[in-house]
Amino acid sequence: MSQKRRRMTRREFLRDAALATGTVALAGVIPAPAIAGQAPEPKLGAQLIGKLEGPTIITDPAKWPKKFNEAPMLAELVKAGKLPSVDKRVPEEPLVVKPVHSIGKYGGTWRRGFTGPGDSENGNRIVSADKILFWDYTGNKVMPSVAKAWKMSDDGRTTTISLRKGMKWSDGAPFTADDFVFWHEDVYLNKDLQPTPHPDFMINGKSGVLRKVDDLTVVFEFAEPNYLFVDILAGSTAMGGGQALQQHAGRTMGAYTPAHYLKQFHPKYVSKEELEKKVKDAGFDGWVALIKNRWDWRLNPELPTLTPWKTVTPINNPTWVLERNPYYWEVDTQGNQLPYIDKLVMTLAENLEVLNLRAIAGQYDLQERHTSMAKLPVFLENRDKGNYDVRLDPALNGSDATLQTNQAYEADPEIAKWLHTRDFRRALSLGIDRDQLNETFWVGVGVPGSIAPSETVPYSPGPAWRKKWSTHDPKQANALLDKIGLAKKDAEGYRLRTDGKGRLRIELTTSAGAFIPHTQIAEMIKEQWKKIGIQADAKEHERSLFFTRINNNEHQIALWANDGSEVLYLFPRHALPVDPVEALLGHPIARWYASNGAQGKAPKDPQLLKAMELFRSAGGKKTQERYKIAQEIFKILVDEQFSIGTVGQSPATMGVRIASRRLGNIPARQINAQHARTPGSSHPSTFYYKA
Amino acid sequence: MLAYLVRRLILAVLTLWAVSVLSFVVIQLPPGDYITSYIAQLSATGSFVSQQEAEALRQQYGLDRPLHIQYLRWMGMVLQGRFGMALEWGRPVSEVIGDRLWLTMVVSIAAIVFTWLLALPIGIYSAVRQYSMGDYLATFLGFIGLAVPSFMLALILMYLGFTLFNANIGGLFSDEFSGAAWSLAKVWDLMKHLPLPALILGLAGTAQLIRIMRANLLDELSKPYVVTARARGLPETRVILKYPVRVALNPFVSTIGYLLPYVVSGSIIVSLVLSLPTVGPLLLRALIAQDMFLAGTIVLLLGVMTVIGTFLSDLLLIWIDPRIRFEGKP
Repeated sequence: MSQKRRRMTRREFLRDAALATGTVALAGVIPAPAIAGQAPEPKLGAQLIGKLEGPTIITDPAKWPKKFNEAPMLAELVKAGKLPSVDKRVPEEPLVVKPVHSIGKYGGTWRRGFTGPGDSENGNRIVSADKILFWDYTGNKVMPSVAKAWKMSDDGRTTTISLRKGMKWSDGAPFTADDFVFWHEDVYLNKDLQPTPHPDFMINGKSGVLRKVDDLTVVFEFAEPNYLFVDILAGSTAMGGGQALQQHAGRTMGAYTPAHYLKQFHPKYVSKEELEKKVKDAGFDGWVALIKNRWDWRLNPELPTLTPWKTVTPINNPTWVLERNPYYWEVDTQGNQLPYIDKLVMTLAENLEVLNLRAIAGQYDLQERHTSMAKLPVFLENRDKGNYDVRLDPALNGSDATLQTNQAYEADPEIAKWLHTRDFRRALSLGIDRDQLNETFWVGVGVPGSIAPSETVPYSPGPAWRKKWSTHDPKQANALLDKIGLAKKDAEGYRLRTDGKGRLRIELTTSAGAFIPHTQIAEMIKEQWKKIGIQADAKEHERSLFFTRINNNEHQIALWANDGSEVLYLFPRHALPVDPVEALLGHPIARWYASNGAQGKAPKDPQLLKAMELFRSAGGKKTQERYKIAQEIFKILVDEQFSIGTVGQSPATMGVRIASRRLGNIPARQINAQHARTPGSSHPSTFYYKA
Repeated sequence: MLAYLVRRLILAVLTLWAVSVLSFVVIQLPPGDYITSYIAQLSATGSFVSQQEAEALRQQYGLDRPLHIQYLRWMGMVLQGRFGMALEWGRPVSEVIGDRLWLTMVVSIAAIVFTWLLALPIGIYSAVRQYSMGDYLATFLGFIGLAVPSFMLALILMYLGFTLFNANIGGLFSDEFSGAAWSLAKVWDLMKHLPLPALILGLAGTAQLIRIMRANLLDELSKPYVVTARARGLPETRVILKYPVRVALNPFVSTIGYLLPYVVSGSIIVSLVLSLPTVGPLLLRALIAQDMFLAGTIVLLLGVMTVIGTFLSDLLLIWIDPRIRFEGKP
């Protein structure tokens, strides 16, 4: 505790103070957290969570429009002779989308807030249509995007994608298979740019190959069956994530890149002297830094992109401004070239309080990022004054605050022994009163239960597994703990260690600065565990220290959200210890898995080992089989309680949406998930200003 | 005299070198590096980076090399007048700071001017009318200003501004100007936004200044030359302002130097709360992100300012006070 902890508390205070100034006046809109133990008013969520809806993609060419229209600002440029006419800009085979409510009107500026150059995702997600494939608005079905169509061979070894005839980059140059080949040969296979191959382009440790068939056809080939690859191309992954996401902030993936533009910065295509001069003039350390800066859509307004809007004022300024891409390849069912909205202006907020206060004041037109659930009362209070609606978009993941037990913990053998004991973990889980947590920290809109994802996801093992070992049952918990040999207690009723070293104390490691107040949640769990005689200590850390401790294998139980685990195969790291970047169930285990056993340590628990083996086998299996395996993995994880779920499927992360009433085509509810690039799958290009 | 200056100058350079080493080491002390904090930030805000990408970035930024190599690389750049790339910003450090430096100076100078305009008259009044109602009132308000944390004041004023006047929240510019090029309209917009931060930053320092002014002046007021001036029949305002106030101002003049670092860094927390595009929030963010080039350069800049400030105040003291000037001379 001591200094660090006290400092955090003050920051907490700071963070909440702005809200407090507002909430004092409106205690009574909803019960304040402090008195939330009592039953609240009828579910607040029910009023604010609408029906899931979204735009649909028309895949039947017979229904496509034949004539195209364009925004007035582009029509002027055409008139002035500065731009070719719209039918020369839109591909012959565009992406045709039917907006969720109605055909929109052109014009307007979308005002939004962002928190600085680290907040790239704020824009990345809005322009995520540049992905090769994408999901429909439910997040479950793969849809075309940059690629017009795809086909996987029966043996799962080759995936063929077809591009759109006449599709162009934002500078008017044709977009072809050569842009894929350039990425593969000159970026991915260049050791300076990509030192090691990427797992998303590999199967069982063997790299895939990319091949051009003709100008509009690209083939991905693997040595072994890789049935998952279509999902990878549609997911928020290194191969399918799109140019904007995968080539920003120094990244090198994305599967395609504008060859005609980037060749001027690549040593294979320009002389050494010329390149050195360019590097020096731009003030970089070398050509790698230069080219990575030039292909970063946030930083380089000259970069050709495939996104609906492109940067005109880079992200490292007080405003990040995007403007429509005149060559954008998506149209509505009446042939209007999208996007409807001309411009996006994101203004810098140095801290989240100011951002939230500006949202409350109606200074943003649409904002779902950084808007906090704790501010809900103030958002609701001011919605008429600020002329906006508040919508909640619950996420699909099982638990926003998951207690991840370290299955590789060694520092204290006694604690390690208990963390490896199934009944101990089950007892800890049964000792948590999830309803109390839900009312206090999720204003009652979350869903209590295990780590299993929402039942709408095909990987879900079914409703029974949301409840299994995940209800509040102190009696059974106490019986379990007595049974495994922890029956002895001290004078205060806490259970004693079996090695005679006093009280059994479990440390709950938490991090500051997450979307969810994990430390306060841990403090409440600590109170709840008194009833089962378990002493917990909540220890808060600065965010990077938190990860450093986890990577050093120092934590006993760590709290973190399990977001992304709802698409288990695309983003497993919050469900299974398979990725050393984040391995809360045990860093040595993840290193063991990632290195195929060369480093780290295998899991001691046979069930965890089984779950990981199942996971490894899934990539080579077909879709339906993969679903079954995922369900099997979740059953093991829930039954074993390696990860103890609390409350999830909530709007806590990017699910509190403030939408101006002037905007049209805003879905009542949108899917809130990483793979769906929220709000990307709602096609922001179809949003428009009604007046 | 010259030897004195040279000695001070050599000391200043040594101090600066020590500051550069310390700042670089201290920034590196917390566990992890820029990449760790980048990973953590992505994960906390619903995004991620893969192990391979993280390693490639670490190599590119040279974070996998030993600390002293990284320091020498940075120093090499600093001596050439470049300060490296701000990792998170993807822009040269000098540009990132440069944008904000001028605004920081504008805000800080406005706050200082506000403080002086408020504190000096009140201080004089409190001394001349010691133990009057006005003295008590000014003292009371001054202490409240000192006791209320300025970030708290900022939050409250901001909320009131929003609820009562529907004012713009935070920042130094309206939306339409924040990205625009400089123009008269933009300067006017800045002027309109300036009073609030100046007031908040200024209030905290006011009480201190009032007390110093009051105490200094009280010392002077009872001295014989004041009595003489009065006895000669000079008007009261002239008696006060012409002689004792001038003497009482001396301590202020000699501490002007200390204001320099303040002018550059301002108040971090208040700037953060008010979302001012100044250097303070930049430093905080750079420290959290462990962006050692950016944070190191700002800390170095503060060091330079402090050293120059101290040097200046030494010079001023020599100029003002003959006792220092002729020290050691018969």
